[in-house]
Amino acid sequence: MAIKLKEEILKGLADAVIAGDVEKSESLSKQAIAEGIDAYEAIMEGAAKGMNTVSERYESGEMYVPEILCSSEAMYKAMEVLKPYIKTEAMGTPKKVVLGVTKGDIHDIGKNLVKLMLEASGYNIIDLGMDVPNEKFVATVISEKADICAMSALMTTSMVFMPEVIKELKQKAPGTITMVGGGPLSAELAETYGADGYAKDAAAAAKVAKRLLEERV
Amino acid sequence: MADKMTPGERMGALITGQKPDRVPVSPFILGYAATVNGLPLGDLYADAKKSFKAQLLCMDMHGYDSTPMYGYAAIGGWEFGGTIKFPYDVGESAPAVTKFPVESEEAVDRMEVPEPSKAGSGPIAMELARQCNALGMPAIFQCGEVLTYAANIMGPSRLLSWMIRKPDIVHKALSKIADYQIAHSQWFVSTFGADKCTAFAGGPVESSKLISPKQFEQFVYPYMLRVHRKVLDMGVHVILEHPCADQNKNIPYYKRLREECGWKGKYVWNFGPETPLETQIREFGDHDIIGGNVDPPSFQFKSFDEIVALCKDNIERGMKSPSGYILMPGCEMPPNALPVNVHAMMVSARKFGTYP
Repeated sequence: MAIKLKEEILKGLADAVIAGDVEKSESLSKQAIAEGIDAYEAIMEGAAKGMNTVSERYESGEMYVPEILCSSEAMYKAMEVLKPYIKTEAMGTPKKVVLGVTKGDIHDIGKNLVKLMLEASGYNIIDLGMDVPNEKFVATVISEKADICAMSALMTTSMVFMPEVIKELKQKAPGTITMVGGGPLSAELAETYGADGYAKDAAAAAKVAKRLLEERV
Repeated sequence: MADKMTPGERMGALITGQKPDRVPVSPFILGYAATVNGLPLGDLYADAKKSFKAQLLCMDMHGYDSTPMYGYAAIGGWEFGGTIKFPYDVGESAPAVTKFPVESEEAVDRMEVPEPSKAGSGPIAMELARQCNALGMPAIFQCGEVLTYAANIMGPSRLLSWMIRKPDIVHKALSKIADYQIAHSQWFVSTFGADKCTAFAGGPVESSKLISPKQFEQFVYPYMLRVHRKVLDMGVHVILEHPCADQNKNIPYYKRLREECGWKGKYVWNFGPETPLETQIREFGDHDIIGGNVDPPSFQFKSFDEIVALCKDNIERGMKSPSGYILMPGCEMPPNALPVNVHAMMVSARKFGTYP
């Protein structure tokens, strides 16, 4: 296959994700497979690359959540088409992130955006959803041998569970990186809670996760 | 320093453009009133009589200047036929929608503007307002903003996605929501009289963390203008506007709202802590009252002395507002705030907020 065609497909895939064009994302993903492009490469150099641009544009105030949600639909469509063709050895072992919204809280837009950005960065996300009891965070981190436990909260009544989970993890799964974020949180509060990292938004979450993992090594 | 005015006199002076004895304090208390009364949080939203009593006792205990009110951010879902859950379980802080009434395009077509006296929390809000009115306090009713209501009616993700994919459907829903907000306002005004009412509007979904200023202009502004115009035309003089979270980018539209309404009535602006007081004073201070915006979570985890320092800074900056200033948190007081930190607001207002 001509290198130019491959580049066109990958760039087209990234652009389709940025534009939130689900149909184009699907057709280009199918074309990638048909042209023999490695599926993992198509995700990482096409769809995920587009999502990284979306993340940058969100951070700089050029894109907002409505556009990101459309981009996510396009990215997930590409992954749906491409994932069955991924050769497992191509992926290596992705880092595992246990993600959820703390107990009593059902606000999950922020958590879903974090999931999206982390998936686009190649992480394996175990999404516990919302209103997650402390014990479930801890048990899942242990059973899945997760690298990161990321918690989101939008309420002052639900953020108080974060330090409890962090404390439990320090005892039962030392070495697990803990990250927190959400409306009422701040870097100051995250530090008070004993979290390893704080992300002010979804775009920052992927960067913070990367930095913390590098620091751990 | 001892107060020279009662809360009613102080707020009256502020609204009529006179100098009160000191900076008034409005701690934006809802759930906290339940906590300090040992009342289940859910009762504050499910039972008007218990809610009123808890808020009244809390007001009396701390001596602040704002009066009981009813409202919550998840408004709209129940009113348009969905279901909500009152916050009776651990970790919950306010009512939350458990079933969105609109989950398809067809459901938007079927949306009917509900009769306010029968819709969702309407009767509870009315009962609490009656109790306030009986004691000569303002009957406060919720009348916005539209996008927050819409998110509670169709689900935030669906709404935000449809704003791109199906904007006409969203506009159709927003128009019906605005009709309901006007009808709800009319119900309160006809029950108590406009001069006895205060309107409250605001919400988090309008935040610049979620939508762009252009989307605010397209999906919020026209409906907000329609509702506010109607409410002002009904004769309601005071509107408490709470642009929740970071809405710095929307300030030009809020200013346009006031200009297009001819700066009619008196607004109390309560932006989130992300918006500097100086910006608010510059944009609205010549006509309206600025509600200070101390960082809300701080009331839960910082010390009394730290809160006094935050309030002192807020007061010193806010008192420069030519049309008046109220010491407030930048959003609802956390239900689990430390009581001494609410007290810190009172101490600060008396110590640093006295007018000559």
